[in-house]
Amino acid sequence: METTWRLGDAELRSWLDGLVERGSAVIAPVQQEPGLTLFAEIAASDEAVLEPSGKSRWSPKEFLFPRSEALYQYTMDGSAVQVTDPPEPERDQVLVGVRPCDAAGLARLDDSFLSRRVDPFYRRRRERTTVVALACGGAEPECFCTAVGGSPVGTDGADLQLVRLEDGWLLRALSDRGQTLLGDDAASWSPAEPGAEEAVAEIGRRVADEMACSPVLSEWSELLERGFDQARWDELAWSCMECSACAYVCPSCSCFDMNQQGTAWGGEQVRSWDGCTFELFTRHASGHNPRQNRGHRFRQRVLHKFAFRDEDQDDFRCVGCGRCISVCPGGMNILEVVRNAVAAAEGGRDGAAR
Amino acid sequence: MTESANSEPVRAPTQPMTVPDGWQPHIVALVCNWCSYAGADMAGTTRIEYPATVRLVRFPCTGRMNPLAILKAFEHGADGVLVSGCHPGDCHYVQGNLVARRRFTLFRSLMDFIGLDLRRLHFAWVSASEGHKWARVVREVSESVHAVGPLPDWDDQPDAEPIRLSELDPDPVSEPSATTSEVLDRIRVTAANLLKSGEVELFIGYRAGLRPGILAPTMVTSSDQVGSLEFGEGAVHNLAAYLADAGDREGRVGMVAKRCDVAAVEGLIREGQIRREDVRLVGVPCGGVVENGEIPAKCATCSGEPDPVCDVVITAPGARGADAVADSEDPRDRQVAFLESLPAADRWRYWQTQFRRCLRCYACRASCPLCYCSSCISEQHRPQWIPTAIDEKGNTAWNVIRALHLAGRCTGCDQCSTACPADIRLDLLNRKMALEVESQFGGGLSPGERAALTEFRMDDAEDFIL
Repeated sequence: METTWRLGDAELRSWLDGLVERGSAVIAPVQQEPGLTLFAEIAASDEAVLEPSGKSRWSPKEFLFPRSEALYQYTMDGSAVQVTDPPEPERDQVLVGVRPCDAAGLARLDDSFLSRRVDPFYRRRRERTTVVALACGGAEPECFCTAVGGSPVGTDGADLQLVRLEDGWLLRALSDRGQTLLGDDAASWSPAEPGAEEAVAEIGRRVADEMACSPVLSEWSELLERGFDQARWDELAWSCMECSACAYVCPSCSCFDMNQQGTAWGGEQVRSWDGCTFELFTRHASGHNPRQNRGHRFRQRVLHKFAFRDEDQDDFRCVGCGRCISVCPGGMNILEVVRNAVAAAEGGRDGAAR
Repeated sequence: MTESANSEPVRAPTQPMTVPDGWQPHIVALVCNWCSYAGADMAGTTRIEYPATVRLVRFPCTGRMNPLAILKAFEHGADGVLVSGCHPGDCHYVQGNLVARRRFTLFRSLMDFIGLDLRRLHFAWVSASEGHKWARVVREVSESVHAVGPLPDWDDQPDAEPIRLSELDPDPVSEPSATTSEVLDRIRVTAANLLKSGEVELFIGYRAGLRPGILAPTMVTSSDQVGSLEFGEGAVHNLAAYLADAGDREGRVGMVAKRCDVAAVEGLIREGQIRREDVRLVGVPCGGVVENGEIPAKCATCSGEPDPVCDVVITAPGARGADAVADSEDPRDRQVAFLESLPAADRWRYWQTQFRRCLRCYACRASCPLCYCSSCISEQHRPQWIPTAIDEKGNTAWNVIRALHLAGRCTGCDQCSTACPADIRLDLLNRKMALEVESQFGGGLSPGERAALTEFRMDDAEDFIL
């Protein structure tokens, strides 16, 4: 069976419109305001912004791991308490135009929510989600996916991959789920000409050259952990302002907080995004905080991305999208911090920004 | 309640809200214990009839009334809110109601600006002996709320064209004036001298950022590091945000200060967060900063000349100068006026579209030099005034209270809106509050003067109070 097709713009649009018509929630980058693109459900394919480069302000992770979601709701009538589960998702969802870094981020989320103790809320969304990645034809200044093992044409976490060519699109099926999503439409598409794979690889090489990142080495994980107690963290994290913009725009950050909210008659247990840079994140009920200052807190962020992992895991949790760098109000650059922390742990001098 | 990202979008009725037959509004009345609560009691004992639409919540004083309590009532579905307390001069605590009156004035104007129909929000002075007045007030408030109808669902997303202010976006200054290398040289020399002489222990400035033209905050502690300091149109950060922490240090702190940064430093001094003698300000000429390729609105009216209150003033070319901006107006004033000309429902839609995007990352709070509370109201859990859920209600409560806590204190550096990853027009909310403070109470930001919300006058305007 054919797994790579050559599509014209009209064919791609009509396939996407078909998905909408068949009742799937099609979620794509949509321009909200001048200069602000976010993932949102589209009603027609022309709303989707599918450009060779550029990314949404934050990752599409909220469609699998919402900012806030009720885990259960309850009502109380005298002594009678009735607990109800939140409704099951009713529709399949298709994430279209997901950058390779974001798709890789979803694979990291899968690892957090599905690999050990399975999170049922995440799972039931994940089971109904298909990811259509969109390869990058250009890099943004903050991009560094190649430094952390990613690629501008990477397929990690994707079911289908779209590649913008000079004339039209290349569509590759990468999983059974992806193949299923194509349905009957694929029968009318022309198969890709030989050499298409090489064209994609060439795009990948060109964009990687644009980024010009030197790799973050796997053995740095150990060095970072060895430098856990070094006093330099205070200095490295000096300009961190302790918001959580970095964590909330991050494709792989998965921390959350739990809260009850309700009245005398009922309420709900809500899980909401949280971030390790907040002082409140680790403050105990006693008032003691094991991560006492911003240095400790930012260290957690860096080490969770680049150091803490199981022995059988190869990948960093950071996927190199660089969003945390571009949104940081304190001008922090995580890649620079990693290099500096490693340099300090090695007893050497400061590393370079890239 | 929470909205999961993949739930069906709620479609709002396209026709105007109609009041169902026989519908009676739910009105929460927040009343002061000493006057209005007793006044309501008086109405009851004298057998005066009035609509049974209000639920009373007793407070010690209107001065204790937190705007978040009013928001909480709306969050829980109240169709209207009435706040009532002692007449000016009658406060059991002497001045609680006078402080409250200012707070209500600004809160009411902010709620109006974000699109709450003001027919839902009322204030009254009712004394303990005014049973008749209480009945009349409740009748009037009930009729007013009845005329607006039930409170629409917060997550209603009407299918209407988005409201865009971009047409009103001016281009205040076509080009920033170039910063000369002379300015940078002198910043470095000054920093080196301050550090070498022991005058400061730490110097806060800018360093090269991710790409040319972008700068990031940095600190240097010895004179041989000053070569890393940079300056230019990418100096968007207000470094004063780092000063409140610096107050914990033993030595003095030096800082590169643009004109807008100096205003924030003065705010910190005025509010007792830092002492003037603990900072050494190096005033620099600024030709306007550049964010995302544009000069922000705040620069339109700024001369960019170094502020003379600085300890070291770098006089060099680079600032646009007072003459160049003499006739300029803040371009946001037109945007505020435009929003105010729209029906309340449209304003509500405009702001809810933005608040819905809010991630509650608190970058606005973190980057604000004057948001220095060691424990923010959003972190208070007993009671939980601001819902932690990242949804319409919680986001609205947060954005309203942030603007209100900065009202009369905000120095207009726009760090909050620059920092906001969701591009919420926080600068417009701040600007609206600044205009309101100016027109209602005047001034308030000079050294030695108290902020508008910590002050009151007996004759403050109260034409909205029943």
